[in-house]
Amino acid sequence: MTTEAKNKPKVAFFDFTSCEGCQLNKLNLENDLLDILEHVDIVEFREAMDDKAEEYDIAFIEGSISTPSCVERIHDIRRRAKMLIALGACATQGGINAMKNLQPIEEVREAVYGDEKYRFPTLPAMPVSAIVKVDYKIDGCPMSMPEFLKVLKSLLAGQEPIKPDSAVCVECKLKENECVFDKGMVCLGPITRGGCDAICPSFGQFCTGCRGLISNPNKNAMLEILTEHGISLDEAKKRILLFNSYDHSQSMPK
Amino acid sequence: MKKYQLNKKQLPSFIDHLKKQGTVFAPHKKGDASYSFAKVVESDSVILEYNRTLNSIKKYFLPPRELLLSYSRKDNSYKKGTIGKEKKIFLGVHSYDMKAVLKLDYNFTEGNPEENYLLRRRNSSFIGVSFIPDEFHFSQSVGMPVHDTDGFDIYLEKNDDGYTVKIITEKGEKLIKEFNGLCDALDISSNHIQFQNKLKYNYNRLPEVFEQSWNAEVWEEVAKRCVGCGTCNLVCPTCYCFDVEDNMDLSLQNGTRDRSWDGCMLNDFAAVAGGENFRKSLADRQRHRIFRKFRYITYITGEPWCVGCGRCTAYCTAGISIVDIVNQLCDEYEQKYLNRPVEQSGLNLEGL
Repeated sequence: MTTEAKNKPKVAFFDFTSCEGCQLNKLNLENDLLDILEHVDIVEFREAMDDKAEEYDIAFIEGSISTPSCVERIHDIRRRAKMLIALGACATQGGINAMKNLQPIEEVREAVYGDEKYRFPTLPAMPVSAIVKVDYKIDGCPMSMPEFLKVLKSLLAGQEPIKPDSAVCVECKLKENECVFDKGMVCLGPITRGGCDAICPSFGQFCTGCRGLISNPNKNAMLEILTEHGISLDEAKKRILLFNSYDHSQSMPK
Repeated sequence: MKKYQLNKKQLPSFIDHLKKQGTVFAPHKKGDASYSFAKVVESDSVILEYNRTLNSIKKYFLPPRELLLSYSRKDNSYKKGTIGKEKKIFLGVHSYDMKAVLKLDYNFTEGNPEENYLLRRRNSSFIGVSFIPDEFHFSQSVGMPVHDTDGFDIYLEKNDDGYTVKIITEKGEKLIKEFNGLCDALDISSNHIQFQNKLKYNYNRLPEVFEQSWNAEVWEEVAKRCVGCGTCNLVCPTCYCFDVEDNMDLSLQNGTRDRSWDGCMLNDFAAVAGGENFRKSLADRQRHRIFRKFRYITYITGEPWCVGCGRCTAYCTAGISIVDIVNQLCDEYEQKYLNRPVEQSGLNLEGL
């Protein structure tokens, strides 16, 4: 089943409102990059090359949608892509960009652009899926490299990628990490979607919820856990909303 | 039963003696305030006075992640993972964790014997150690006293000078045979262990409670505080559910079939093709978790499948206590079905 050069899937990478860290992250897959190139043709990748293409088998999108021109551009990419995959927290869930949605949009615009604000039209920050159909999401800030490889391999082999839907706690327990709550920290691991191999708690850091929440987050109970462990209710909500404003600010308990 | 005295300062040389006979696994410090079983490299880093380890020794027989087989799509072949035959000596095991292994033995031999578990389980010796129950331990309340030696080859009972070494089996006798440092057992009393009963009912009475507990209100109440992180499942020494996943390498030709621990509190656990999930709510999942410990297997074996290690409670960030759940079920049972205080009804046998 070797992929012949002529029918290798055409893959492209695009960035929207983001730090471009997820794209950079892929270039860090040094050991696997050549193997990946055995299977795919990268036809557009601004972070790494100059070429452009007309259509794509897989378009990977980094960044959130936050301006009218983003909307236009993502529609254009979607039209030309057979499959579209959101990469990283900004693209999958709006990410930290969506924190701006919690403030009046005009105030935010003024704070950022000052007197020039009329030259920069802006929208509330949105995940890609708010505008176009997204086929798969690879979560994380930056996106998880093992998950990226897993999804890519599944797609190349013609299989449906499996989306993890259990908490980061699971991976901590499999690795027999001491709970960071027991180190005196507060952690969003109990309701954050795993699949990152609990990378932050494994290095003694608490989970900030960058991969989004599991599909049935019990936010009331999580707020209770956080406040029981010594932070204020207000702080607890802010922690949950850091990466999850777009999906969860409306449903956050009062 | 033969008894000896092992003084505290002899412990490292005793461990060195064990190391000559096999790979020794024992509790070590982990993180800021936790303990974990690990292979002994430095004998003096072993800690025998500990409250509980993060995971039980289950992890050596049913590893958290395990390669089942590697496959090749090129020629449709596969090769099973290899499992070492080395002799394993587990030192410093608490009685409840030993009991948990015996329960897993049952689970993995009844019906279809589970090859990987049984292969890993062979050539194992167990040296128990006494412990002082903390706020979370309730093993005695489910029928497993601190000094229960069932399953052990040797048992170390803490006393003021060190340990009373009790030889339980022939295997234990062999392990200790050529170790010269032992004296005759001293006539000193072992440290007195106070154990406060934590369950409202004797564990023998729990089956009658659980028979009536399917619709208890406790499940919804617990679910309000639960986030479904699965910690309680994963740290449980008698939970054995797993998931199996194929992982291809980048050649798209070769890959591995891997198995890892799973838990019934997690979203995908009871999800099936077509999008159905047999236990959608956290209340249903909590009930299932607790019924797995006190009803389903208990109904067949007559024993509680919870060993009272207290891990699910100690490591629950939401502070959900399995003891509280069981006691609340007892309360609810009394109110609904006995309709009077248990002290009276328990003795009311006149009509029989």
